[in-house]
Amino acid sequence: MMLLPCPWCGPRNATEFRFVGEAGPRPDPATVTPEQWRHYLYVHANRCGWSTETWYHRAGCRRYLSVERHTLTHEIRTVRDTATGTTSASTATPEAAR
Amino acid sequence: MSLLPTPRRPRAARPTDRADAERLPPRAGEVIDRRRTVGFRWNGTPYTGHPGDTIVSALAAAGERVFSRSYKYHRPRGLLTANYLDPGCMVQVGDEPNVRGAHRLLTDGMDVRSQNTWPSLRFDVRAVNGLASRFLATGFYYKTFIKPEVLWPAYEKVLRTFVHAGEVPPDSAPGHYDKRYAHPDVVVAGGGPAGMAAAVAAARAGATVMLVEEEHQLGGHLRWGGPAELARLAELRALVAAEPAIEVLTDAVVGARFDDNWIPVVARGIPGIDERLIKARAGALVVAPGLVERPYVFAGNDLPGVVLSTAVRRLVNLHAVRPGRRAVVLTANPEGDAAVADLESAGVEVAEVVDARRGEGVRAAHGRSGLRVVELGDGRRVEADLLVTAVGWTAPTSLLNQSGDRPVYEPRAARFLPDPTRMPENVLAAGGIAGDGDVDALVEHADAVGREAARRAGRSAGAAVTVPALPVADHPELFSAGTGGFVDFSEDVSAKDITTAAAEGYDSVELVKRYTTATMGPAQGKLETVNTVAVLAAATGRTIAETGTTTWRPMWAPVTLGALAGRSHEPVRYSPMQPWHERHGAVPLIAGQWIRPEHYGDPAGEVTAVRTGVGIIDVTPIGKLDLRGPDVAKLLNLLYVNKWSKLGVGRVRYGVMCAEDGVVMDDGVTGRLGEDHYLMSTTSSGAATVWEWVENWLQTAHPEWRVHVTPVTTAYASINIAGPRSRELLGRLTDVDLDPERFGYMQVRTGRVAGVDDCVLWRIGFTGELSYEVHVPAGYGLHVWERLMATGADLGVRPFGVEAQRILRLEKGHAIVGQDTDGLTQGFSAGLDGLIKLDKDDFVGLPELRWQRERDTAPRLVGLRPLDATVVPPEASQILDRAGGIAGRVTSSRMSPTLGRSIGLAQLDRELAEVGTRVTVRLPDGRDVAAEVTDPVHVDPEGAKLRG
Amino acid sequence: MAESPADAVAAQTAVARSPIAAAVPTVRDGWEVDATVAVGPLTLSDETPLAKVAVRAPFDGAARAALGVRYGRTGRVDIGGDRVLIAGAGPGEWLALGAPGTGSALVASLEELLAGTGEFTSVLDLTHGRALVRLEGAAAPSVLAGVCAIDFSDTVTPDGTALRTSVAAVVTDVVRDDRGTQRSGAAATGAVGVPSFLLHCERSSGQYLADALLEAGAGAGLEVTGFRGLEPSRG
Repeated sequence: MMLLPCPWCGPRNATEFRFVGEAGPRPDPATVTPEQWRHYLYVHANRCGWSTETWYHRAGCRRYLSVERHTLTHEIRTVRDTATGTTSASTATPEAAR
Repeated sequence: MSLLPTPRRPRAARPTDRADAERLPPRAGEVIDRRRTVGFRWNGTPYTGHPGDTIVSALAAAGERVFSRSYKYHRPRGLLTANYLDPGCMVQVGDEPNVRGAHRLLTDGMDVRSQNTWPSLRFDVRAVNGLASRFLATGFYYKTFIKPEVLWPAYEKVLRTFVHAGEVPPDSAPGHYDKRYAHPDVVVAGGGPAGMAAAVAAARAGATVMLVEEEHQLGGHLRWGGPAELARLAELRALVAAEPAIEVLTDAVVGARFDDNWIPVVARGIPGIDERLIKARAGALVVAPGLVERPYVFAGNDLPGVVLSTAVRRLVNLHAVRPGRRAVVLTANPEGDAAVADLESAGVEVAEVVDARRGEGVRAAHGRSGLRVVELGDGRRVEADLLVTAVGWTAPTSLLNQSGDRPVYEPRAARFLPDPTRMPENVLAAGGIAGDGDVDALVEHADAVGREAARRAGRSAGAAVTVPALPVADHPELFSAGTGGFVDFSEDVSAKDITTAAAEGYDSVELVKRYTTATMGPAQGKLETVNTVAVLAAATGRTIAETGTTTWRPMWAPVTLGALAGRSHEPVRYSPMQPWHERHGAVPLIAGQWIRPEHYGDPAGEVTAVRTGVGIIDVTPIGKLDLRGPDVAKLLNLLYVNKWSKLGVGRVRYGVMCAEDGVVMDDGVTGRLGEDHYLMSTTSSGAATVWEWVENWLQTAHPEWRVHVTPVTTAYASINIAGPRSRELLGRLTDVDLDPERFGYMQVRTGRVAGVDDCVLWRIGFTGELSYEVHVPAGYGLHVWERLMATGADLGVRPFGVEAQRILRLEKGHAIVGQDTDGLTQGFSAGLDGLIKLDKDDFVGLPELRWQRERDTAPRLVGLRPLDATVVPPEASQILDRAGGIAGRVTSSRMSPTLGRSIGLAQLDRELAEVGTRVTVRLPDGRDVAAEVTDPVHVDPEGAKLRG
Repeated sequence: MAESPADAVAAQTAVARSPIAAAVPTVRDGWEVDATVAVGPLTLSDETPLAKVAVRAPFDGAARAALGVRYGRTGRVDIGGDRVLIAGAGPGEWLALGAPGTGSALVASLEELLAGTGEFTSVLDLTHGRALVRLEGAAAPSVLAGVCAIDFSDTVTPDGTALRTSVAAVVTDVVRDDRGTQRSGAAATGAVGVPSFLLHCERSSGQYLADALLEAGAGAGLEVTGFRGLEPSRG
């Protein structure tokens, strides 16, 4: 099982998180066309390679995290709190899951 | 009574003699305790052995040579590898099937039986072969059991009898299977000399180490060696024992290597526990499983008496068992030569040593229930009851493959070797899997690997340790004599099957594997894969490297379902009033994790009590979120389809949330308790989802909004007091002014109830009656509930359960999200026309709802009444249009105690949704009944009761 | 769960109850608690009656300075004249534990303390919304290893650690609060305490969590003992 390096809690088992999905901007509801809106809802790149995703640490800090993950190797490049911008480098990292 | 043919070897038949007939005088490295005797039964007959014996070594010591029948052809099978992998030694022990008889230690009183003895106990071997060969052709599953489909159930019965294995009696006692987590710095898979040396080196470098050995002792091949090896063994064991940071697990296997060194270890032999699954997260993994000796493919290679050199060495040196009387040895390596010496020391006559390094060979083995004659490559026939083969090694690279490595075939060494360039940083290999050498060379290499593993696990600083490359010894490529024989003993796959598969076009090794099932048996390919590849390579004219190998998947060894299930963690949740419900005959309803009262014996009576008097229901599971901050109204406006900016303090409002696709997600009421303080309620099942949803919008879309969200679902015990006399009942227990002029419908107050402060009261009406929902600090929930019951006795107060509530709300036409809506129901199909405010600038799901309104084609939520008032169509009954097509479905349906007739809610096509339309409801039993579309509100459509 | 004391109902005296059933129920500080006293060294006690107050504020601002505890750590602080255990339970989340019955006073004291920070803060009494147990004994880490994937060794989760994770599939705040250590000078004096963990989850799962811990600890001799309070050495 993959370890996800939470910027707040340190590396934790992926089962502590909920995978929210690929991150993308929300179109303006006032001007959006059905095509644009449904692209936002349903069309995901699903690329083999680096992908920016949102994960929710439901059994930990309960923060939404922006994760850059390589979908083939599960290598994780950066993890950032979506609200505070906090990254692993900016917090002391407990290694409790290790 | 034996299930198997009596061995031809002459021996006394008296049970007392069925022990130690083939037992040798004491051996230097033996692992049996001769001072003690263990009694057991084999197919009902008493036998004895010694502690330290495996089931099969004790039987072999008693002269038994046949331990099972093969899977497809029911050929007699004996010892082959004398270890965990031995395909012919699977037995049933008591109620436990598929026990590895050449691995499991003997215990007193064991009831051991042979498996796979279908179709009958003494069926003639030749007859079975004849029968089998007619329909057990290559790929026979695919060719035989395909058409016609109506016969699949019959096929299943036939196939079931072919399945490996013993039986699990339905009444077998549950075992105790444990689970735990572990966080060793280094896991060492394999406790041979390399594994021990790596573990010691890692521990000395400061790492905690889990040293996992499949067998019952550490030591690997040193255990069956000569005096020098035994001395080395004692030395290494002492070093391991001296390191407190090493946890030694014997009779345990590293099952797999998953991402980031997530490593399941299955351990047996722990007192009081059948098996323990250890979920280890390791800093580094050292893979040191040694090498697996490979069988040789030739005609008759599965006859009892044809064994591997390591099996002979184990039997002679560990268990002091004479494996035969007259032997032929086919050797291509020093281990084979050592087996010759072992045989001679055990008093076995070595009739012929066939040295493959000199070009000599074995063509076939002959015999019926056991080996009698060996046919040599030069045509000579030698009488023997033992044929020992030492033709080479397979590197069991499973754990490396699972780590991303792609081992490469090295023809010079006749085996696959790891590709160090593809190994992840936190996985290393040591011992025979990495290369060859004497014990000193292996230990030196493993010592460096162990130190480097500790460093990579972050337990020792400094520069990378230089790990010397192990040399790779030359070995002749020796796979098959080309005379037939078995490639996979577990699955009964012959060399001919592989060749046939190739001829039929299955020329990829992955396809051959699936088509023939070679390598898919209990030995997981460790004995079979390379021979399969080699035979296929020969059949297709390619090299082994070109042919490639199959994928080694988890688990390393089969794992019992018990170990995987283990202790299960399935949380259950109780309301503070649960003890009262239990004492008063509540029928439990499992709703997600919650245990709730479905009813107290009479749901219809509970409904009537609420309509005519007063009832109370435990609604604690309703989700509750405490919202604080100046921007709460903005949040509510964004998440709900209706408007929130003008909700005054002391007011409550109903709201519905949709997702961005416009599909109804959750509903509930939210009250404003203070200027910047709100209490939101959600559905019971949606509580967790809505909380995450709210946090999602706050954290990812509007981090600038100042809102704090705290789940308080179980901080409050929630009690709904409903019915025309609810005001009277509550009024006796609270200091809150309940006068309808001052505490009206859809308002909220806080105050004291039954002596408990800080209660939240909101006046709402899911049931359609005058009702107060009282949220009590949870520790006092039981107290308040009991006070309500006691105080309302003269009012006839009754508790009511979820079922009565469902009926009450259906009478009132209140939809339940997830029941009257589904995963495709957008807002305007949920009866929310008046609620959805498309003139808001934004809210979640707005564009889709706008378009749904514009299309105006979507199904509608309607009331439904069968014309026959006694018919209650089951929920999910289909509604038909005039042409007989599906026009909708019944989403809720009950007999209404209040109206004395059946009522329902339905999702119905737009064209049929007008009130008064006649429709046809098709019941699950095929009958059609007529029904009329009505307003969803069946009782008190004016809401006079609610607002009273 | 135990039968409610009938006389309490008759007298209309509100008795607060923990979600965890008491084997030998008795009333103390207005709460029904367990009078059982364990004899062994490995114990589980129901500490639900402790006042539990949640604080929300920016994770690294003036409020943190006022509380004196950062995320992931714990500290014993005097607030409003009472000794309180504060845990940095999450980023911008603190949990303050006080003596039974002090919840409202603690909320008031904390609001006063934070009023001067100028930050957006909120203080919420969750005494009734959470279950709280203490698992104590040298073998406590190995009991937790049966139900939790976190490494509870001294080097990784030393005394004074606060974290949130999944324990037996329930999201749980875990606070390591060893007994017998001098918190301020532990390193200096080399004093080693008995491993002790406070486990804190939402209330309705309390009985389940206690049962899961007892099952995981059965082989190690885990026993139930009665309510001990925040500072049992003083009580």
